[in-house]
This record gives sequence, structure tokens and C-alpha cells, in this order.
Amino acid sequence: MLKRQFMKAAAVGAMLLATSLSAHADDILAKVKAAGVLKVGTETAFAPFDFIDAGEHKGLNVDFFAELGKDLGVKIEWVELPWDSVLPSLEAGKFDIVAGPATITKARIARYRMTAPIAEASVAILKKAGDSSITKPADIAGKAVGVGKATAQLEQLKEYSAKLPEKVNIKEYVSFNDAYADLAAGRIVAVANSLPNIAFVAKQRNGAFEVVTPSFGAKTYFGFIGTKDDDHKTLVDYVDNEIIAMKKDGRLAKLQEKWFGTSFDTPDSVPNPEF
Amino acid sequence: MTLKLFTLLLEAALSTLGISLVSIAIGFVIAMLLSAGMQSGKSIYILPARLFISFFRGVPLLVQLLLIYTLLPVIGINVPGIVAAIVGLSLCTAAYQAENLRGGFEGVPRGLIEAADVAGFSATQTFLRIRAPIALRLTFPALVNEAIMILKSSSLVSVVGIIELTKMAQDLASSTYLPLPIFASAALIYFVINSVIALLGRYAEKSLKGATA
Repeated sequence: MLKRQFMKAAAVGAMLLATSLSAHADDILAKVKAAGVLKVGTETAFAPFDFIDAGEHKGLNVDFFAELGKDLGVKIEWVELPWDSVLPSLEAGKFDIVAGPATITKARIARYRMTAPIAEASVAILKKAGDSSITKPADIAGKAVGVGKATAQLEQLKEYSAKLPEKVNIKEYVSFNDAYADLAAGRIVAVANSLPNIAFVAKQRNGAFEVVTPSFGAKTYFGFIGTKDDDHKTLVDYVDNEIIAMKKDGRLAKLQEKWFGTSFDTPDSVPNPEF
Repeated sequence: MTLKLFTLLLEAALSTLGISLVSIAIGFVIAMLLSAGMQSGKSIYILPARLFISFFRGVPLLVQLLLIYTLLPVIGINVPGIVAAIVGLSLCTAAYQAENLRGGFEGVPRGLIEAADVAGFSATQTFLRIRAPIALRLTFPALVNEAIMILKSSSLVSVVGIIELTKMAQDLASSTYLPLPIFASAALIYFVINSVIALLGRYAEKSLKGATA
């Protein structure tokens, strides 16, 4: 009897929640246009996509969304969070889209709507310059390697580590900047991150670090992240189209050239990720 | 390290200072209410006050901030980062300050209250003229201590998107590759602000003593 009452109460509660949620339902793109502001969430510790250069927020994402804002006729408002709280905050409606960007993975496209790729994301190794003990990716077997917490690079590294004769001693960091700092301090011997990121770091700290090629693991791509709900569909569609348009007229290649020192050939739609 | 970097740190320190002081002030008001509730002798006030204190003293501030920022929107309250930061810090410090106040009120000599009763003071008069001033004086050093703790804890509010001194120092250190001078400067700024708070606190304590002696 009591159980039935409880079930009834729970059902009523769920219905109330559902109606209050659907009452909020509204097209986000229309809202953004009306307000004249697109709120974009990101972390600022992911150079060259997003970083703080002497107090100024810079990077490929900043340039990309500046272009998008121009085309859409809205201002861009950035919300800067540690990566750990970026995705929960997207789901909580703290901003309209995540500029992240994030590696397109199976788990992520199951939960989020990812945009068309903006760059390649295959994982490579960064080592201290002159470290002759690491000449190919497999040399990290049994050694301490840093990687970002809750990142796709971590998943790739784990998978790669399992294939090596000796497991990699994986150290997880809240931000990649901390990992680079520990690499410089000699607490770890390498950092595993996406090729564009470590190429940028190696270029920035000229002479201190070196990239170990080739990349390992599956070929992956970076995309921006939106939610799967109907309210966000038109907005993510718009961003998708903007990426394709900027790819066609060469603006995206120019941005990649500016921030990575090289441009990538990326597919027009979200590729089927291998992992 | 350039002057520009130091100026950026100082600007971030202002937001650290602003958020902390506002939170301390709001927290103090809530703490007084909690403390009044605890002393009311009525369980409808005592129980919620106790629950509040145990919760906000027992859950890490970082978790509280994330709850306020990302969980409240689920029930339709979508607060901006700055509000989440101030609410989180205020509620947390309120719990601690309420406990400090409890200690202060317990330290008021019974004899004084009895004397006031004999002299014909009403309960409100006794509270306002005798118990509150004495309790406040006894609590004051702990309050200054709490202000300093909150100022340091405010480094956590970067999880809700607020750029304060610690976050700015981290960002600058990672883009300039000068961690040592930047973190040393940040430490110096925290130290100077907290020393000023401690000095002001000591000064205020002295004048409080003078006023109630």
C-alpha cells in the first residue's frame, strides 16, 4: 500500500519535472539572436585552442567564434572553467555551446552532439629536448607519462599502454599545463596530448621540448560540443555549417596555419570514431 | 616579470578581496540568525540551524560551489558564476561563524545575565545590551581568523568561472613560463591583504574592548 503511494508520488513528481522542463523548451539559436549574445564555455588551459596570453584570452577557438559571431551578428561571451566542470555546466545550461574542443569519441557522441571536425586530434608524445631514451612512441613503456584527467587522450594512452610490453606509469593532471610543468621539472618523462597541442607547446618553449612522431592510436578529430536536446539543434547545426563554410572559403585552413603552423585535412561531417 | 603581469595579478586580487568581504558580511548576518535560532530553545529553529551548520561545515567548499553552480539549474535556478561563488562562500562561512558565535555566547558569564534579570531587563534588552556585545567581543579574534580563511578559500571559486588571484596566477604562469616570480608575487599579495585584515582586526578588537570595558 505504502509502496503504491510512493510510486504514485514519484510518478507525479516525474510528470511535474517533465512539464516544467518542457515549459522551458525554446529554440536556443532564436534566443541567442534575440539577446545578441552567444555564450561559449571553455577551459583556458588548452593552447593553442584556448589559453591566456599575458592576461588575454587567445587561441583558435577565440578567432573561430569571433568569425562566427560576425556572421551571425551576435557578440561572443566566454565562460572560462576548469575542464572538469565544463561539460556538467553545459548540461546545466550555463552556456550555449562548448568551444572545448574535444576529441570526437564514441562515448561523447553517445551523450553529446559534436560538430564537424575543426582539426586532427591524434595523440603524440612530447618529451624533454635531448632525451635520447625516447625516440619512438613505444619507448614510453614503463615510464611516467602525464596526461589530462577525463580526456580522450587518457583513453588512447591507456589503450596504447596495454599493448606495450611494460605498462606506462600514467599520471593524470587536471590541466595539461600542470603536466608540461612537471615535464619541465623532470617529474615525468613525457606528456601524451593531441598533435596540434604539443606542436604548439614545443614551438612556444623553443628548445625545451620536442615532439616524438609519429602519433599513435586511432586517427581522431577535434570538434566543438553541444547538447543533444531539441532546443540546441538549430544552434549546433549553425556551427556545423559555419565550420564547413569556413573550410570551403579557406578561413579555417588559415586559422590552423596560424595556430598549429600547419593545416589539416578534416572530414565534412562527424566521422565514426574507432573508440 | 613585467609590471603588466603584476597589474593583472593586482586586478585579480581585487576580485578575490571583493568576493571574500561580501561573503564574510553576508555570512555574518546568516550566522547571527543561526545563532539566535540555536539559542531560541525551540526545536523548530534549533533543528534546521543544526542541519545547516552540519551540512555547510561538513561538505567541502569545492563540492558546495559545484552543487550551487551545476545542480541548482536542474530545479530551474540558473545562477551566474559570481552569484554561485558568493552564495557558496557565504553559506560556508556562516556555518563556521555560527559555531564561533555559539562559543562566544556560551562564554558570557551567567552572573551578568542574572544581574540583568534582577535589574528588570527584558530578554531582548539583555540580548542587545549585554549578551550580544560580550559574545561579539569574545568571538572577534575567531571572526578575523575566519575572514582570513575565507580569503584563502576564495581561490576555489575559479571552478565556477571566476578569475581570482590564484587562477590568474596559474594562467599567467602557464603562458609566460615564469611560475616562480608569478606565484611568489601572488603569495606576497595574499600575505599583504591578510596582514592588513589581521592588523585592522587587532585595532578593532582594542576599541571593542575599550567600549565594553
